[in-house]
Amino acid sequence: MKRLPILVLLMASALFAAPPGAIAIHNARVIPVSGPAIAKGTVVLRNGLIEAVGADVTVPADAWVIEGDGLTVYPGLIDALSTFGLPDAAPAPSGGGARGATPQPATPAPAQPAAPPARGPEDRPFTTSWLKAADLVKPTDRRLESVRAEGYTTAVTFPNHGIFAGQGAIVNLAGETSGAMVVAEGAGQYLTFTTTPGFGGGFPNSLMGVLAYVRQVYLDADHYKQAKQFYAAHSRGTPRPEFDRALEGVLESSRVLLPATRRVEVDRLLRFANELHVEALLYGLPEGYRSADLLKNAAATALVSLKWPEKAKDSDPEEPDSIRVLEVRDHAPSTPAVLARSGVRFALYSGGIDRRADLFKAVKRAIDAGLAPEDALRAMTLTPAEIYGVADRLGSIEKGKIANLVVTKGDLFVDKTEVKYVFVDGVKFEPVEEPPPAKPGAPEASNPGENQ
Amino acid sequence: MKSLLVGFLLILPLAAADDDSFLIRGATVHPVASAEIQNGSVLVQNGKIVGIGRNIAAPKGTRIVEGKGLHVYPGMIDSATEMGLSEIGAVRESVDVGEIGKFDPQLRAEIAINPSSEHIPVTRANGITSVIAMPMSAGGGGGFGRGGGGSIITGQAALVHLDGWTWEEMEIKKSAGMGMRFPIIPPPPGRFFGADFPGAKTFTESKKDYETELRELKEFFENARRYQKAKAAKEKGFQTDLKYEAMLPVLEGKEPLIVMASRERAIRDAVQFADQQKVRVIIADPRELGKMGTELKSRNIPAILGPTLALPLHEDDPYDAAYTLPDQFYKAGVKFAFGSFDNQFARDLPYQAAMAVAFGLPVDEAVKAVTLNAAQIWGVADRIGSIEEGKSADLMVTDGDPLEAKTQVKLLYIKGKTVDLDNRHKRLYEKYLNRP
Repeated sequence: MKRLPILVLLMASALFAAPPGAIAIHNARVIPVSGPAIAKGTVVLRNGLIEAVGADVTVPADAWVIEGDGLTVYPGLIDALSTFGLPDAAPAPSGGGARGATPQPATPAPAQPAAPPARGPEDRPFTTSWLKAADLVKPTDRRLESVRAEGYTTAVTFPNHGIFAGQGAIVNLAGETSGAMVVAEGAGQYLTFTTTPGFGGGFPNSLMGVLAYVRQVYLDADHYKQAKQFYAAHSRGTPRPEFDRALEGVLESSRVLLPATRRVEVDRLLRFANELHVEALLYGLPEGYRSADLLKNAAATALVSLKWPEKAKDSDPEEPDSIRVLEVRDHAPSTPAVLARSGVRFALYSGGIDRRADLFKAVKRAIDAGLAPEDALRAMTLTPAEIYGVADRLGSIEKGKIANLVVTKGDLFVDKTEVKYVFVDGVKFEPVEEPPPAKPGAPEASNPGENQ
Repeated sequence: MKSLLVGFLLILPLAAADDDSFLIRGATVHPVASAEIQNGSVLVQNGKIVGIGRNIAAPKGTRIVEGKGLHVYPGMIDSATEMGLSEIGAVRESVDVGEIGKFDPQLRAEIAINPSSEHIPVTRANGITSVIAMPMSAGGGGGFGRGGGGSIITGQAALVHLDGWTWEEMEIKKSAGMGMRFPIIPPPPGRFFGADFPGAKTFTESKKDYETELRELKEFFENARRYQKAKAAKEKGFQTDLKYEAMLPVLEGKEPLIVMASRERAIRDAVQFADQQKVRVIIADPRELGKMGTELKSRNIPAILGPTLALPLHEDDPYDAAYTLPDQFYKAGVKFAFGSFDNQFARDLPYQAAMAVAFGLPVDEAVKAVTLNAAQIWGVADRIGSIEEGKSADLMVTDGDPLEAKTQVKLLYIKGKTVDLDNRHKRLYEKYLNRP
């Protein structure tokens, strides 16, 4: 109790951007997600936290009051797999996975000198497992404004270059400083199955090479851990194990994110994940609509990309798409509905979509394919918070949680709905005009899964 | 005197193994140009067919070949090979199929042909007596680049007999056509779950390349036309240029362009190009016909069909897309011949035709597509392609239908000369058969 004032002091100094006093959204419809909707309720925010929520909460005397008539208050959306906040990381993580996915030539990931081609796993190709999104996140990422306008207040953001791309962090999508944005680090290790393009590019240049490499790294990490423990106990008289930052990064990550596109990959990766002895999340899953049984049986957690497969804009009009591709394109949006029906825990992520209209349209497609709107909302708020272990702070409108809110005029994910306000750490933002869509024909950032 | 004559006659079959006069009798003759003749005879003199029918009287002393139980067909023609231009694809020194550069009409396949190629005896052992040897894009160690490679005009294709000590002896037509690869927009490399391959070009980029190549192609033809005019006008300071010189027969319509065009779009482009440039074209290695049947037929544009034992182009195509293609051409009324587009597998030409028969093509048409049609397409129907009087005695004598895999070619004649059927395959077969 004695420590509390000090804590408050600390917080206040950290959040010097927070407005003085409290904010109260009065008489609005409140959707807490964690409980039933409140038809006419009040939410009080103070010091970046939710101070009170309920139907008969009194508005504090010092509060700025927002009249909530006709407004709906939702918890801020959480992008469950993202690069938001990492200005160097665009394009966003893939909805695709396997073969050929995300082989972007590493746009200079921080501190990566041009290395000679790797000869084998010992050279740790495409590995930056030690990179931490928490270190790299910047409030200057130009996408932040437009993604807040989508209703996102939080993103689980990951470095995204390479096989072991690095460690994610849960970040709020506003803040005066980088440090102020970070809610929690250690969200997990993000893997892609990148291969060396072409011949002569070094190891690995096949999918089987990548899988063998990942397996080897985990075996090496296990050995490394034991060697270090032994050395710690018997330092004198034992040659010291060589420091390996790649393995350090892997050992620090208690969770791994694996790309899975097709059903066969879901099957393969669920088995593979068992060997790694860490919690695994599968992401992407455009073919999740026919992988639900596998996910259910394995009690797995899925991150489903909202970037539904589409025909590439720049494609040959005379080149027909195969039925396989057309089927996935047609059925992919039913994935969340199928997973919800099967009782698979899943979260939805933006897949890099940074325009409100596009995001709402994408969610709408999932809803039209059978997903209950409240399930969609949960998969973008409380479920990702639970998946990443921050449900005590984020994901719902409850007393004591971080004051991340979206206030809309109308139901969320409905086309004409206006996002009136977004609160991040209790700071109010009024969404600005969205950036115009990319000019047709302009080379689009390669985003696996879109080229269908 | 009489005994001398008898003696001469006696040694004739031995000493004159290469004698080009003989009579095949008692065989089933398939002239291709007309109905088959049971118990028929073919009379050959000085390498030419001079008689065909039931009761052919041979001049006294003519060597008799008993054909009882055998079949006589015209020798087959493979309308697309690299015969003699490439020996082992992986050995650079043995590959001479093409030159770098986009426009190489001055190249002549004929003079590059190696008459001692091991592929020649192998190929003719199956009854193939003449082939088109076609220059192709350089690079990649030879091989018919289906829609790749740098060259657009690859050079002059030669029609040659598969027998002779030199290319001069082999020649049937030194410039049967001008090889050409029509510019295309290549299909995207990866199709499932998109993820572009690194370095893969976008459609817009590919289209730009394609348009550039088309423009270059048109420019080249325009330049060739100006050259033609300058030459005709005997302009002062006129300089001979081998490239444009080689284009003159094409511009005059004497020599067809052999246009490699596998997709429907490329075929359409090629037809359009032929219309614009008023040149003759032959479509080579089409993999689909699409809606181009009537276009080809109405313009009398023939086609050289590639291997039938091929996968469908697109994953949703019917499994038999390649098998039924010849029948589609036949039903559309487009004249076609078969080409193996290969070297070491040129010998499979009859089976290529046979597969088409199994999938609808009438057997007579299949036989024509490896004999008379080819001769007509290459403008040599007065010399080869059927068993008719006055034509070169290119004959195969078989023990059955030549399209059947189990049929053996018993005797083979090129220009009336008996051709040795021994070849590397047979030698290896015997060698390992007799291994202790």
